[in-house]
Amino acid sequence: MSDAKAIADRLVKVKRLNALLTPVKELRKSLAEQAAAARPTGVLYGMPVAVKDNICTIDFTTTCGSKILEGYRSPYDATVITKLKAAGALIAGKTNCDEFAMGSSTEHSAYGRSIHPIDKTRVPGGSSGGSAALVAAGAVPAALGSETGGSVRQPASFCGVVGIKPTYGRVSRYGLVAFGSSLDQVGALGRSVHDAARVLSVISGRDPKDTTCEDRDPLRLPTVPESLQGFVIGLPREYFPPDLDPAVRRACDRAVRLMKEQGAAVREVSLPHTQYAVPTYYVIAPAEASSNLARFDGVRYGPRAEGASDVRDLYRRTRGEGFGAEVRRRILVGTYVLSAGYYDAYYRRAQQMRALIAQDFRNAFDRGVDLLFTPTTPTPAFKAGEKLNDPVAMYLSDIFTVTANLAGLPAISVPIGRVKGLPVGGQFIGQAFLEDEMLEAAYALERAVPATEEA
Amino acid sequence: MSVTQDDVLRIARLAELEVDEEGLPALVEHMSRILDYVAQLSAVTASESLRPFVPGPDAIRFRPDEENPWPLAVGPDKFAPAFKNGFFVVPKLGQFEEPEAS
Repeated sequence: MSDAKAIADRLVKVKRLNALLTPVKELRKSLAEQAAAARPTGVLYGMPVAVKDNICTIDFTTTCGSKILEGYRSPYDATVITKLKAAGALIAGKTNCDEFAMGSSTEHSAYGRSIHPIDKTRVPGGSSGGSAALVAAGAVPAALGSETGGSVRQPASFCGVVGIKPTYGRVSRYGLVAFGSSLDQVGALGRSVHDAARVLSVISGRDPKDTTCEDRDPLRLPTVPESLQGFVIGLPREYFPPDLDPAVRRACDRAVRLMKEQGAAVREVSLPHTQYAVPTYYVIAPAEASSNLARFDGVRYGPRAEGASDVRDLYRRTRGEGFGAEVRRRILVGTYVLSAGYYDAYYRRAQQMRALIAQDFRNAFDRGVDLLFTPTTPTPAFKAGEKLNDPVAMYLSDIFTVTANLAGLPAISVPIGRVKGLPVGGQFIGQAFLEDEMLEAAYALERAVPATEEA
Repeated sequence: MSVTQDDVLRIARLAELEVDEEGLPALVEHMSRILDYVAQLSAVTASESLRPFVPGPDAIRFRPDEENPWPLAVGPDKFAPAFKNGFFVVPKLGQFEEPEAS
């Protein structure tokens, strides 16, 4: 059982990262109370788990990194929080994120950007950048994030930790503030595959409060395999383009060589619609966001604008003042692509493309491939401010992660080396509800690869 | 440019979002950049019979149609701005008052 004071001290020590949004005094008080009440027989007894600030908690405010929810306190815990508490875990505060999980750098938070734990001039990735930075800095062994287009795996890759996105429907979303409902999933980050997998196992499983959550038992953790004998791993050629950062390619090549040495069969495959994944995502996700975020209007949640002349003026002013630039952009793009005259050209076409992308994966798996291996991101962590003025350049940092969200598949990012001191992640994409197989391969890769050495 | 200032203002009205004059040119530029980028989808021919991909359970499971207490972990008096005798206290809405007879 970790001491509550020691947990809080570790979190306070890394305050410079601006990764934790919960005030220190509140955190210390809550941790002491939780430690006293924690169930000693729980499988996560005493384990501190930090939680992304778009997951509802009774004990702490839930702002989604937005001014529009400043001071908002949920009257209930998300199902994932209830499950963590029942397993004896301690909720170690709320972590900084891009506003409403929209971003890839945690620079789009109303509470200031989070700092990369190794290089303070760089971003920790996003949108679950605060969670990844805290795990990487050693402040907590695990954290919760959320994924809509790669928001757990991309920051995990940038910060050198493990990040898992489960199959759509594996984990309840009750209490996760909705962004893109056909894409959103709660995910886990950890120092190791085992830490992240333990948390995923606890939060997974059926929930009558969420009809998109499958009626399945919680994930059973696999054992660490002796080798990768019998695994067929596909390398999608579209994820290794000629302009891929040479150091990232070197790290992937080394990981593939080590997997082969452990007995895996490796073969090249093609996912021909990959190039359309990012444009498809940036139609579907904003369309769903424009609908989901309509509820934030100053009436039911958070602060409201003053001086409104009537109720519509109240909505417009509150939303105009409360939402940041990236959220405003996405609401407008989403409203545009759903509006009369543009629906067929954008939204319908994107839905068709999503079906083709999902079909690409089915075809690859039908040809006998168990898992796909790719780089998680095209480059290591980028400089703060580097992509802020070009939204499309920012979106392209998710180019290798959005496909798993569009197809609803599980995926994991594992550290596979360093480039000039910065971590690089390798990604496995698995078949729906076969997380156990994916975790076995991740355990084996983690054991084999010198993750903190230059590639 | 894919969109004009007027387009953005029209969409902003649909989205109930106030857009300030100062930020409008940058918003138009960014929206145009995004829409130009996603427009590459129109270059792909997809079969009209292609069914949309929707992840999740094949059939929606309905909850039993029964009335349960709202699953709040704390009572409404703990989180409502004002709560009295079992009711939420809300400000009087002046615009709905009957005009006084002259």
